[in-house]
Amino acid sequence: MFNARITLPPQAKVGETVEVKVLMRHPMDRGGQSDGKGGTVPRKILNRMTATYAGAEIFRIDMHTGVAANPFVSFSTRAVETGDIVFEWREDGGATYTRTARLTVI
Amino acid sequence: MRLPLLLIGLFVALAPAGAEEIASGSSFLSPEMRRQQDDPNRNPAWFWVDQGKELFAQKPATGQACLGCHADPATSLRGAAVRYPQVDGASGKLLNLEGRIEQCRVERQQQPAFGYESAELLSLTTYLASLSRGQPMSVRTDGPAQAYYEAGKAFYERRQGQLNLSCKQCHDGLVGQKLRGDTISYGAGTGYPAYRLEWNSVGSLHRRLRACSLGVRASQFDYGSPEYLALELYLAGRAKGLPGETPAMRR
Amino acid sequence: MSFPISPRSKRSEAPSRRDVVALAAAGLVLPTLAGPARAETLDDLVRRVTDGVAPAAGGLTLEIPALVENGNSVDVRIAVDSPMTEAAHVRWIHLIAEKNPFPDMARIHLSPRSGRALVATTLRLAQSQTVAAVVAHSDGRYAVATAPVVVTLSACIDGG
Repeated sequence: MFNARITLPPQAKVGETVEVKVLMRHPMDRGGQSDGKGGTVPRKILNRMTATYAGAEIFRIDMHTGVAANPFVSFSTRAVETGDIVFEWREDGGATYTRTARLTVI
Repeated sequence: MRLPLLLIGLFVALAPAGAEEIASGSSFLSPEMRRQQDDPNRNPAWFWVDQGKELFAQKPATGQACLGCHADPATSLRGAAVRYPQVDGASGKLLNLEGRIEQCRVERQQQPAFGYESAELLSLTTYLASLSRGQPMSVRTDGPAQAYYEAGKAFYERRQGQLNLSCKQCHDGLVGQKLRGDTISYGAGTGYPAYRLEWNSVGSLHRRLRACSLGVRASQFDYGSPEYLALELYLAGRAKGLPGETPAMRR
Repeated sequence: MSFPISPRSKRSEAPSRRDVVALAAAGLVLPTLAGPARAETLDDLVRRVTDGVAPAAGGLTLEIPALVENGNSVDVRIAVDSPMTEAAHVRWIHLIAEKNPFPDMARIHLSPRSGRALVATTLRLAQSQTVAAVVAHSDGRYAVATAPVVVTLSACIDGG
């Protein structure tokens, strides 16, 4: 059920600092709650999001159970060249998810 | 002596004729939360809209995709959701939007029902309701719907539960006052299905009503029960003219 | 007649006494889980991420509402005074909630490519408490900002 909504400015000048906004769809299960059958739900959260752009990791957030369900993250990056910002998420249990967003630099 | 009379005169002049004016749940949100609700990059409910839009175009194992009959839904189904609940012509039963989607799914697509509050039904309902965003609530409360509307009104006005409270006592009589940490709204329901912080998810109006029932320590009725359907019609009739707000955010 | 549709919402995040006792009996509990940070002060929690160094106050702003409508999603925004150059930049920002069952909420890693040290996210707060943002600068300095937050409850506790 993972999904993400990534927002970038339509274009940016070289060297300009742009804001990157990311909204994620994920329940971020904290674990330990009742599963309704006498057991407990295991923890299952997105524990990391990285963003890579123009040859380097430009942002990383390590997330624990104190991050909200369907979390929002925003950060900045300096526009270097036209290219994809590649987002990768790591979920408890090892699953990964990827999305890309293109930054157009003029 | 004359001041009170003057005030009464003013009140009469300002009071809307006939039905009382009510405001939607959005007007009881903090400015920050309202901004979040209105920003598709911040309001998680749009994920449910996206999922519903995908499902709408997806061909099931048998029959057509929803899109097969309802082409160009952004136009053809604009304003459809704000006319629910409505009485089904064939069966004479009151159907809300969820009920109509399930009916299409079972009778036309020959598929097993999704089930109330399933991710699929919630997504489709949220998507269809989002197509009526800004359209005035316009359910019929007369003709065949009148008996259902009256039943819903009676439910709304009846004292219930261990707290012995009716919906009306708070949602008409104490609007704007504080109940624990929250502000009492009119209970208009025009933003549902809505993303509630309490749920960390999108949920239906009936899920919200179940929480209300629990809140006054009264019996919770089933999803899609006749009681909640009639109440949903009454609330929608009471909110006539207010814009549809799905996908809204609520506390 | 009624059934819970969200069993996950039925219990709070903190392990109950019963859970902890049961787990302890089974020999499964780590010391940190058995006493979820109650003994540790916010100061202790901060120093744990700064290798014992007392961070300086100031040089950053921590924006978080003083009164929160629902602890399930709390907006936070952190801005650090830093030129964000190779020579002087923010390495990371670490967010701590003193009274959450797991106080470490998130660590955000930045670099000179960030352009500016301005980040935002949404947090989950178990109760009214003080929240801290700890900043690690590239020259080895640490800075901290704290903010008290009051978390109110929704009127009707959801169980349906």
